[in-house]
Amino acid sequence: MARNKFDVDERLETPFDIKHFKRAMVYVARYKKRMAAALLLSAAAVIVGLFAPVITQHAIDTNIPQKDIPGLIISAVLLLLTIAVNVIFSTVRSKIMTEVGQDIIYDIRRDLFEHLQRLSFEYYDSRPHGKILVRIINYVNSVSDTLSNGIINVILDIFNLLFITVFMFAMDSRMALVVLAGVPFLMTFILVIKNGQRRAWQAVSNKSSNLNAYLHEGIVGARVTQLFVREEENSEIFAGLSEAFRKDWMKAVTYNNLLWPTVDTISAVISASIYFVGLLIIGPASVSLGTIVAMGGYASRFWQPIMNLANMFNNFVNSVSYLERIFETLDEPVKVNDKENAVELPTIEGNVEFRNVTFSYDESKTVLEDLSFKVNKGESVALVGPTGAGKTTIVNLISRFYDVTNGAVLIDGYNVEDVKLASLRSQMGIMLQDSVIFSGTIADNIRYGKLDATMEEIERACKTVRADEFIREFPKGYDTVINESGTMLSQGQKQLLAFARTLISDPKILVLDEATSSIDAKTEKMLQQGLDRLLKGRTSFIIAHRLSTIRNCDKIMYISDRRITECGTHEELMAKKGDYYRLCHARRDQDEEADACEAQAC
Amino acid sequence: MFQLRWIWNNLKGYRGRYIFALCLTLTGTTMYLFNPVFGQKIVDSFIYGENAAYELANHKDKLIMLCLGLVIFTVVRTLIQFSANMLYEVCSQGMLAKIRDRLFDTVQKQDMSFYDHSRTGDIMTRLSGDLDMVRHTVAWIIKTLLESIVLFGATTIYFFILDPLMALCLLALTPLIFIISGVFRKDVGPKYVNLREKLSQLNTRAQENIAGNRVVRAFAREDYEIGLFGDHNLDYASANKAAAMTWLRYFPMIEMTAQGLSVVQLIAGGLFVISGRLTMGEYVAFSSLIWTLSNPMRNVGALINDLQRFMASATKVIEVYYSSPLIKDREDTMQMPEHFKGSVEFRNVSFSYDNKKVLDNVSFKIRAGETIAIMGETGSGKTTLINMIPRLYDPDEGEVLVDGVNVRFIRLETLRRNIGVAMQDVLLWSDTIDGNISFGDSDMPEEDTIKCAKCSDADEFINELGDGYNTIIGERGVGLSGGQKQRISLARALAVKPAILILDDTTSAVDLETEKTIQENLDELDFKCTKIIIAQRISSVKNADKIIIMKNGKISEIGTHKELLRNKSGYYSEIFRLQQSSIE
Repeated sequence: MARNKFDVDERLETPFDIKHFKRAMVYVARYKKRMAAALLLSAAAVIVGLFAPVITQHAIDTNIPQKDIPGLIISAVLLLLTIAVNVIFSTVRSKIMTEVGQDIIYDIRRDLFEHLQRLSFEYYDSRPHGKILVRIINYVNSVSDTLSNGIINVILDIFNLLFITVFMFAMDSRMALVVLAGVPFLMTFILVIKNGQRRAWQAVSNKSSNLNAYLHEGIVGARVTQLFVREEENSEIFAGLSEAFRKDWMKAVTYNNLLWPTVDTISAVISASIYFVGLLIIGPASVSLGTIVAMGGYASRFWQPIMNLANMFNNFVNSVSYLERIFETLDEPVKVNDKENAVELPTIEGNVEFRNVTFSYDESKTVLEDLSFKVNKGESVALVGPTGAGKTTIVNLISRFYDVTNGAVLIDGYNVEDVKLASLRSQMGIMLQDSVIFSGTIADNIRYGKLDATMEEIERACKTVRADEFIREFPKGYDTVINESGTMLSQGQKQLLAFARTLISDPKILVLDEATSSIDAKTEKMLQQGLDRLLKGRTSFIIAHRLSTIRNCDKIMYISDRRITECGTHEELMAKKGDYYRLCHARRDQDEEADACEAQAC
Repeated sequence: MFQLRWIWNNLKGYRGRYIFALCLTLTGTTMYLFNPVFGQKIVDSFIYGENAAYELANHKDKLIMLCLGLVIFTVVRTLIQFSANMLYEVCSQGMLAKIRDRLFDTVQKQDMSFYDHSRTGDIMTRLSGDLDMVRHTVAWIIKTLLESIVLFGATTIYFFILDPLMALCLLALTPLIFIISGVFRKDVGPKYVNLREKLSQLNTRAQENIAGNRVVRAFAREDYEIGLFGDHNLDYASANKAAAMTWLRYFPMIEMTAQGLSVVQLIAGGLFVISGRLTMGEYVAFSSLIWTLSNPMRNVGALINDLQRFMASATKVIEVYYSSPLIKDREDTMQMPEHFKGSVEFRNVSFSYDNKKVLDNVSFKIRAGETIAIMGETGSGKTTLINMIPRLYDPDEGEVLVDGVNVRFIRLETLRRNIGVAMQDVLLWSDTIDGNISFGDSDMPEEDTIKCAKCSDADEFINELGDGYNTIIGERGVGLSGGQKQRISLARALAVKPAILILDDTTSAVDLETEKTIQENLDELDFKCTKIIIAQRISSVKNADKIIIMKNGKISEIGTHKELLRNKSGYYSEIFRLQQSSIE
């Protein structure tokens, strides 16, 4: 699969497309009632605000010249009232819109996260994790204001604009045309910069994604960096990404900053034109002087909403560069998903069958070819063979982490593709090579396997896997807080915790993928005793290199070159003198030497 | 305010431009005040003036000049404001890049104990969201603040010249704004501290979910994760609302006070005109400039709001900015040759981790060129022991010596360049395989990369990958099997040709045949080095010059394979018998 690196932009070739915006409207539409209320409040606030100049005018024209002090006070009280109403309306509107804005991004973020939970390993494996993170957190945050207040303001400004336009035409259509003449110029300007501006903001979102990806790796990989004295070089790489971001940001922001001086200039030209056209071209003979003066006032009131709209346009272009990334993630196809008529898998007995399974991660390389085998309930199966032969792939297919290319995987006769994923996986216990620890207490980490586990259950599981002892050595025992990046626990201890976590989930089928590789032989031996009891009656698949682990299994499958080359018990395979025999032999040679040494020593 | 001083310090190199930009803003704002003058002039001379008709008929050129003047004046003003805005961007982005780069550098150099106690998501928050708040301050808040102050100051002076009593009346409301703002500041501050903490938690939650995506799938915990994340998502949204609502509680008061100015102006001004203290013209002058007082007043609230938010974020950024690792070069480092011989000695080394003793009075010596094996139970302190050599941790007591010198006196860079470590928990980068192997020396020729890969028996499977050495592997090496990752990690350690090679259970996930090949290759390295090998299998350790058995942080047994087998009740013998019995 083509993987993405921290310094590679994720390509997305789409022209400026209003469809992203329309799609965002789905989220906005859920709150349309509240938004309509906010809009009405704003409109009311504007209308009430219109009274203020009238009151002031009245005071200046009437009250003051007449020395009417009570009248003046009444005017002042009225003015205070209009202000109060205006402020209250605006405040309520802001409250509503704050709620709506936060609710919208809550929804988007929830959908994004939910979708991410359905995506397969592949999605996570093929791009730096920092790039996924930045979408869930930063990108979603970036669009909140545009989608809430932005929309309200656009509507208000458009109404404002229409209102003034109608007013101007009613007064004098010739002069109104002069005011409107600026609009085509502005449109042309926007058309000219639009594509560049959009590309620039896309670049910014890409660069910020790259930067965060490298940052994330820098934090996660700090230990390796220090051990290999790579600090300076990494810092240089980071500075390079940082600089790339700065450059693109400057470019994008230049477009944004160019917009309002243009609007401002056009509006100045229009103002000048009103006087010029009104006084010199049309002439005072056919247009009243009052109209010219009033038109001058309207022109500035006409261009103010346009200025606001231009600003909003900037924000929209910026937001779309984030929205399209969010939607891209939401559109990421879910490769492994419940079928429409998927059934609940009943309690698993543990019969597993592979029927002519062929599998490839991508077209080019087949990992498994025409693989067939049957495992009866309660059996333990060891998968052995060279690294990279496809052992992990086989166990991944049982849990349906991937869908087979051809053939079928059946559990108790159910094709795994026909049952509900959750009902399948919740009955399986899968221990992976990497022991992932979540930040939280030790108890919390184990409880992950069974959310309602009691403390006794947790302790019992830990005792079974021989983790209880070391956990108790911590001053806070099971309440010790551990974290994902920490080294408080040794690798072996992490594996033991992961083991306990798997056990507590009471799996019907257990998959151990190199689960004990970092555990020392002695601990493993003790672990084994507890395990044997537990494994009784459960089907288990074990991938391991340690012979002691392998030979106890009921069945050993040697996987090599995309197929099972040998299958049988330890004794059978040893008698066969094939691949498995050779594998054990490698060990044996060494141990015979050891025998010799021991003999000498005695 | 320390945070603002910190910003000022970091503006170094941009200070001149920043101040210039501020001056430009002031010029632009002032010019904005004069914008209406042109229109006024046209109206006065050509429309309502006494000789308007005459002027219009005979001085068309003057009218055209005024119209042109209006346009040119606006163009000049917008150019000035445009330049100012671009300069703010230049300065804030420049400063931001500088801070960001330094933060990254600092974070990378932190002690391992820092990482043991911090969450990746939190560090990410500090370097993204928090940092953006700092940018916002420089690019926006300071400018608005200054603009407001100047506008307010200039108008106040002008008003006092016009009429001191009227000016006083108008200013009477100012203290009110300050009182409200002061209360507001105290109220909203904690809300923003809480908000950014919630953001950090959200980030952490998402980050761990992504990092643990395999475990989530394996346990079918998607719905649980969705619920958990949903809680954090809701917390964050609520914190956002709480902060905004706090602001909106004070907003009406501040807004009323600011807009109330026009009421004061109406009553006081009106009474003064009636009493003859003011002329109508003066009244209009006050009235037309009243916004220059009320705008700054209403800005105060919004600015305090933003500033509090900035403070909450900046504090977190500054924490990282100034944190310095405990493990660093001393002033009096010893002069060491570039290449070490490779002898290692532990002298009474003890180390505790969160009050739990992990190493307890450990002493041993390794001569240059020797191979030492370390075995022991899970959690017995093996990894901690070897972490002391490249100084990932410093011992609490005792000392670690390399080539006879206490490692504390060796330059960290020199020390670590002489040590190659293949860690147990393999961390690879989302880079090409070539880039990963040559991590310690990126100028390494490709032949060397291949040689190291061959040595760790990785060449074969690498060539089978789609793009060979140029195959990009995922973060932490996802997509490769455990054994493959370990072999790349081993090749990476070999690539630096270290004087001391430390292998921490590096072959636990490779199959036995491969392990054997690797062991043979390690015996025939083309450079001399001391090898310290942590392993679980007797076969991996028995040829070592010395085998150390760790138990509860102490050395319980030490000697050669033969010597250790003599102690029948020892750990080594026990493991030997155990592994022996598994083979018929």
